[in-house]
Amino acid sequence: SQRSRAEVDVTLQTAKLNPAELLPAVHCLSFGPQASSGQCCLLQLEPGLCAELEAGRSLVIRGEKDEQAVLCSRDKTYDMKIADTSNMLLFVPGCKTPEQLNAEPASCNIIHSQIAGFSNNYWELRRCRPKLKKLRKLLMEDPYEGPDSQKDQTLTFSKYTTEDLLSLIQASEEEILHQLQVIDACKIEGHWRILEFNYEMKLLDHVTQLIDSESWSLNKVPLRTCLEELGSLEPREMIEHILLSYGRKYVDDGEVYFEMREDKICRAIAQMLLQNAVKFNLSEFQEVWQQSVPEGMTTRLDQLKGLALVDKSSRPETIFLLKVEDLPEDNQERFNSLFSIREKWTEVDITPYIQDLCAEKQTVGALLTKYARSSMLNGVKVYNSRRPIS
Amino acid sequence: MVQIIISSSGTGALAQWMLVELQGEVEPRQSGSLAGNLLGDLHYTCEGIPVLIVGHHILYGKIVQLEKPFAVLVKQGGAPQPSPGELQGHYTVAALIKTKLLFKTRPKPIITHVPKKV
Repeated sequence: SQRSRAEVDVTLQTAKLNPAELLPAVHCLSFGPQASSGQCCLLQLEPGLCAELEAGRSLVIRGEKDEQAVLCSRDKTYDMKIADTSNMLLFVPGCKTPEQLNAEPASCNIIHSQIAGFSNNYWELRRCRPKLKKLRKLLMEDPYEGPDSQKDQTLTFSKYTTEDLLSLIQASEEEILHQLQVIDACKIEGHWRILEFNYEMKLLDHVTQLIDSESWSLNKVPLRTCLEELGSLEPREMIEHILLSYGRKYVDDGEVYFEMREDKICRAIAQMLLQNAVKFNLSEFQEVWQQSVPEGMTTRLDQLKGLALVDKSSRPETIFLLKVEDLPEDNQERFNSLFSIREKWTEVDITPYIQDLCAEKQTVGALLTKYARSSMLNGVKVYNSRRPIS
Repeated sequence: MVQIIISSSGTGALAQWMLVELQGEVEPRQSGSLAGNLLGDLHYTCEGIPVLIVGHHILYGKIVQLEKPFAVLVKQGGAPQPSPGELQGHYTVAALIKTKLLFKTRPKPIITHVPKKV
């Protein structure tokens, strides 16, 4: 049976509390029937997540059995951790604040509130980088080699739809879709595909040769004519895809044009040259590279950040392929890997290889402070490992 | 990979609950579960200070607007969670908690009988 107002008043008297100093309404708290069932738990919400839930949107927890679970909203990813408190947290429906009590007509002076559950821990969230390395790995299982490929097209086990990717990658949908764009993936028959590099270069070569033979400005490459002239050589979707990957689309007077991206094209051609050997004589490479890019484009070493590394200590100077996307995703493993490739790094050289590790408001400097030790070498500040690298 | 959906109930605005934070543990007077037992009476002073009378103790607290609100998740399917660290299945958001009553002061015992000096 529920407590009565009279019983409450007796308790106040015994406690020597003056009712005149209290608001008229009392909440009699008791434990609800399901309070001990342990079915409820608490999730602490980072900024923005409350609004997501209030808008009726869902959150998803994603995790492999051997991985740390992450929580994803529509566009962000968070690490999850249990936080213990030494206090008891009771969750009470229908419990009013003094403001709410004062705002209501003072009709009742006793409210029976049932505690729905209690806990001494809650889930804590921390925004983290989405775990996107797996995305490239999955799409590289079966790169698209073009319609003339000798590969058996009936084998579909290595092809992924958006839904497939959502169930395999610890990231939010928007982060996955954004990354697909960054890596120039395209949808072929409903599946996301990456182009096999040589096929991609073949497509690019068709376009740059056409630009040359038509004497088009690199800033005004017409889509329509490309499709007409090249449509017999390659699928139209692929021609358009390569233009979208290596150019910026715009419309002028009702026609679609592309402004070709010099840096990206030069970079791709460098990769094509560098992948054929362990390393190259730098000056020889620079000469061949400049000759290989389309007329009107200028090559610069800074176009190769995160793709290739120059060894200034060797005589003659050399250059070799080192792709940031081939390096480990975990911070410590990334630094271990970099320091095993080269013992001491300048900030300029290492930045392209750690930039992607930066958390939301973190700087490269902060990462270096945490994972590396600095020293001076010939008047230049260099970074090396904090621990011995085997 | 496991995917666990946390969905809003969708029908109208989410309920707003309150968190009551107490030091230590709450145990039933008799052995058995807490379900059905009274915890105590919650009053507010005219200045808005929460006062909780639990058993023989008076607790004074304060109202805290949570910088990071909580969502109360209820597991669908009925079975309780095996341990706080494991999550399975599907959860719904039963309510949001944006306010808590924090009782941190040492409870003042209620003295009901003062022994007379002999």
